[in-house]
Amino acid sequence: MVNLTKLYAVGGQITRIVHEWCLTPIDTHLKRGFDKMENAWLIPLFPLLSFLLLLLIGKRLKEASAYVGILMTLASLVFSILVLLERFSEPTYLYRFDWLTIGEMHLTAGFEVNQLNALMLFIVSLVSFLVHTYSKGYMHGDERFHVFYAYLGLFTFAMLGLVISPNILQTYIFWELVGLGSFLLIGFYYYKEEAKAAAKKAFIMTRIGDVGLLIGMILLFWQTNSFEYSEIFKAVEAGAISNTMITLTAILIFIGAIGKSGQFPLHTWLPDAMEGPTPVSALIHAATMVAAGVYLVAALFPLFLASKTALMTVAVIGGFTAIFAASIGLVQTDIKRVLAYSTVSQLGYMMLALGSAGYVAGVFHLMTHAFFKALLFLAAGSVIHAVHTQNIEEMGGLWKKLKFTAPLFLIGTLAISGVPGLSGFFSKDEILVAAWEGGHPVLFLLALIAAFMTAFYMFRLFFMVFTGENRGKQTHVHESPSTMTLPMLLLGILAVVAGYVNTPWFGSFLGDWLTDGNPVLGHGHIEGPAWIMAAATIVSLAGILLAYLIYGKRSIAPDWLSGKGDMLHTVLYNKYYIDEFYQMTVVAFVTGFSYLLRFIDVFIVEGIIKGVTGIIQGLGKLGSKMQTGQVQTYGAVAFVGLAVLVVIYALTGGYLR
Amino acid sequence: MSLESFQQLNWSIMTPEFLILGVIAILVLMDLFMPKHMDRKMIGWIGIVAILAAMVATASMVGGPVESILHDTFRIDSFALAFKLLLLGGGALVLFLAVSYEPKDGVERYQAEFYYLFMTALLGAMLMTSSGDLITLYIGLELLSIPSYILAGIRKFHSQSNESAMKYVINGSISSAITLFGMSYVYGLTGTTNLLDMASKLATLSDSNHVYLLTLAFLMIVVGLGFKLAAAPFHMWAPDVYQGAPTPVTAFLSVVSKTAGFVIVIRILLTVFGFAATDGQGSIPILYNMQNYLAVIAAATMIIGNVVALKQTDIKRLFAYSSIAHAGYLLVAFTALTPNMFYSIWFYLLAYLLMNLGAFAIIQVVTEKAGSTKITEFAGLYRRSPVLAVSMGILLISLAGFPGTAGFIGKLNIFLGALYAEPGHYLLASIMIAATVVSYFYYFGIMTQIFFRPAADNSKFNIPFGIVVVLLVAVVGSVLFGILPNIAFDFLQNNLDIIADFFK
Repeated sequence: MVNLTKLYAVGGQITRIVHEWCLTPIDTHLKRGFDKMENAWLIPLFPLLSFLLLLLIGKRLKEASAYVGILMTLASLVFSILVLLERFSEPTYLYRFDWLTIGEMHLTAGFEVNQLNALMLFIVSLVSFLVHTYSKGYMHGDERFHVFYAYLGLFTFAMLGLVISPNILQTYIFWELVGLGSFLLIGFYYYKEEAKAAAKKAFIMTRIGDVGLLIGMILLFWQTNSFEYSEIFKAVEAGAISNTMITLTAILIFIGAIGKSGQFPLHTWLPDAMEGPTPVSALIHAATMVAAGVYLVAALFPLFLASKTALMTVAVIGGFTAIFAASIGLVQTDIKRVLAYSTVSQLGYMMLALGSAGYVAGVFHLMTHAFFKALLFLAAGSVIHAVHTQNIEEMGGLWKKLKFTAPLFLIGTLAISGVPGLSGFFSKDEILVAAWEGGHPVLFLLALIAAFMTAFYMFRLFFMVFTGENRGKQTHVHESPSTMTLPMLLLGILAVVAGYVNTPWFGSFLGDWLTDGNPVLGHGHIEGPAWIMAAATIVSLAGILLAYLIYGKRSIAPDWLSGKGDMLHTVLYNKYYIDEFYQMTVVAFVTGFSYLLRFIDVFIVEGIIKGVTGIIQGLGKLGSKMQTGQVQTYGAVAFVGLAVLVVIYALTGGYLR
Repeated sequence: MSLESFQQLNWSIMTPEFLILGVIAILVLMDLFMPKHMDRKMIGWIGIVAILAAMVATASMVGGPVESILHDTFRIDSFALAFKLLLLGGGALVLFLAVSYEPKDGVERYQAEFYYLFMTALLGAMLMTSSGDLITLYIGLELLSIPSYILAGIRKFHSQSNESAMKYVINGSISSAITLFGMSYVYGLTGTTNLLDMASKLATLSDSNHVYLLTLAFLMIVVGLGFKLAAAPFHMWAPDVYQGAPTPVTAFLSVVSKTAGFVIVIRILLTVFGFAATDGQGSIPILYNMQNYLAVIAAATMIIGNVVALKQTDIKRLFAYSSIAHAGYLLVAFTALTPNMFYSIWFYLLAYLLMNLGAFAIIQVVTEKAGSTKITEFAGLYRRSPVLAVSMGILLISLAGFPGTAGFIGKLNIFLGALYAEPGHYLLASIMIAATVVSYFYYFGIMTQIFFRPAADNSKFNIPFGIVVVLLVAVVGSVLFGILPNIAFDFLQNNLDIIADFFK
């Protein structure tokens, strides 16, 4: 009756493969190297297994659940590294099969290991593994420890599935699944009203973006008759799609990326999402999921390249978001919110890079950012773990107490500020060069200012948390356990060295590899004027210096909290003068500007969103009011409905088309 | 007709109907002669077996030729078989719900009636799928409706249930009257009740007055049947009736009755009005000419269903609006009128059947235990019963049309259909997307209750066997058809050539 033959055939095939594999002598396996790329589809399955296992027996395992999660993600990580290494020498591997056939439509599913996907697999599984390990210490004692690990598994599965999808429909499916994982994890502390609200907000707001993605994707399908990336690119190259259509679909898809990557104006969910546990913020809202928007644009890069307007949109939104979020970050007092706005701003950087046709720069910064931002979040988590507050006004002087966390946090801060020698410096430089060479001098300038602000607010954070005197009431401040510090250490090393895979000095290995065989993606390295690097260095150091003068030095003054500053007693008049000068001009301006943007954020962006929801809610209210419960009304409404239809028909003679 | 020719008719094609009818008769007699104190549940189980047997009988006819008896008043074509299977599947699951239904004020006294009235209504729905004639279609419709009225009011001492039945009767009668009035015009213009005869007579229609009258008939039939589908603005009975009726009855109304409504809509509108010319032979048919009216109804249904659902605090009312919204999505598929329409509608109804009946199974368990149908009764379900909570979570994301579930594939089909149609229905497709986004709010509102709220009491649930069966089928089906939708599509495409059969 039901066409089971196909199902049996698939089942039989799987059995045969497993059987053959088991019977093959071990040395043949070793020689063959287990065909790593062909088995890359196994990578997402480990965390899925972890999720299913913990769902079933998590309650009994209690805190031992962590080992299941850690082991499974370790398996994914090892596999990802093998796949990455193999991808250095082997060509792209693509596997697909017919998934759904309706009439003339054929939809496929499968997986693809190209350079970008291999790199993403590595980043995601690495950060996920480290966060799994870190959480063992951070979540210790939580009643729903196993649930947390189960959700982490679900998320990791979805994220890994996302980055090996060979077609946009499959990407979309995992894209939504990732959102679900994020929803569950943000709302993990469900007894907190804010967490619940944030979870819902994150889910709904990214959904708004997803609608754009869905429509864009279906329009593409309509135009090219395929969801496959390769087919779409072929059609774009062959000129089978009109320019307007390319621009329209690219922008619609970019709207999806805006939602997921927290770009203006759909960014407000991301800072709120900080209500989730800190390891979640590190994994989802810094390193992986929010970068999915950037990944999507990168994965569809040839489509974007085909439309100047679309590229320009990406660049402008990215550039604006970069400075917009950075300026809001200047006045935040919650440690995680500062980092959240910083993430939004850095994602804006990546978008700016992609929009300026700097494919390599965008992907490169995605990678380095994943490392140093995850490090910063984990270190912030370690601080919160120690002092039980997120308000930086109540911290201070923690350098001596957190001997391990503090230097690591400093490394992350230096990296994100773009101090020469660290990873962030190289990737940010690439972006600035790309923006300049891409012919966006205004956006370049914005990015440069944003770089200054980044250095400033990150060091403001650092000085307020780690230097000066302790302003909090905590007494038992202690360093975190090694399960928490070791992942941070590893990320710290990466935050320093990861930049050296692509530098103007030692060769652009990463860039050459990423663009190998895909000339359409551009060159591995864009040559830019040397002064850009100097300028980037100067603004970064200037930002740090300013932060030091305001927060590093002033924190010595006894009446720090009153904000007046005992300036007359400072040693050097000159310094005072600079302080004052900055305070009066730059800082006042920046603060004012920042408040203005904050105002836009709260009243206009949120206002529009509230307005729309308000209208919908109002309609709902009206609708339920109409529902009087009186059967006469129902009959009357129906008759009116019929009458309206008949009258319209009578008036238009039935040719209302 | 002589007895001999009567006997020579191919009665075997009615096997599923005879099976159900026969078992109903047996069950009525059993109920009559069974000792009063004996448990009537057995009757329900016999009913389930009968429905499953009817399903096997129907399935065995799959792949056969088009057959009809009694001048097409009863016909077996691929359309009939495909939708009959859906109805029987839905009917069996509803009976599983019914045997597990034990509300506090009790329906034990009428429990046996409960079962055979369900089956009678199901028989009506089955007849509708197989009718090629207005008379049998109408009889099928009434045979479905009248037992439904009684079922809605079967909790005799429950005032809400009484109110529900009363409203249903009145609204149902209005709708029947309007439908019948519309049908009378069609009969008056053609002089026949056979749908295919009508089609061939109307295909050359060119008198503009006749076209005008026929279009009025079209509107009246659409409105009359719109009641059955609970399409806006003829949906207003649904929330009140759904809320008051016993939960299995609500499940029946929202799934089986709605499926039957789509069956009759497609049968009449497509056969008669899909051919009725507007200006001589070869001109554009009335159905295509009136697509915009259908589009407006579809859009209004989606918007009203989803938007009003936001404000609901009662789970059954919420699901009433949700089912209104789903009718809207289905109407989008019908409005688009693509060659894939049958597949899209059939698959969506299948997905809807699974996810909605599964959700009602959980609603039944939770509301029965709590004695109230407030949405807040779902608070902390995750702590009280992780199995129920996770199942409900899966069913809700499927209802919301989340990727990886059958609901997503169903919506994707409809959406693609709306864009692929010539001319494309972009506005309708956009409204559908926007409406879907709105639906996320209330489905995830329930999810928030289940996963993120503390429970008022921590008592555990006893999940009766019937519910376990429904949940298993619903959850496994929703995920399976979400991941491997080709199982269903291949079955349909390889065995049932609906379009070719439909007009034979």
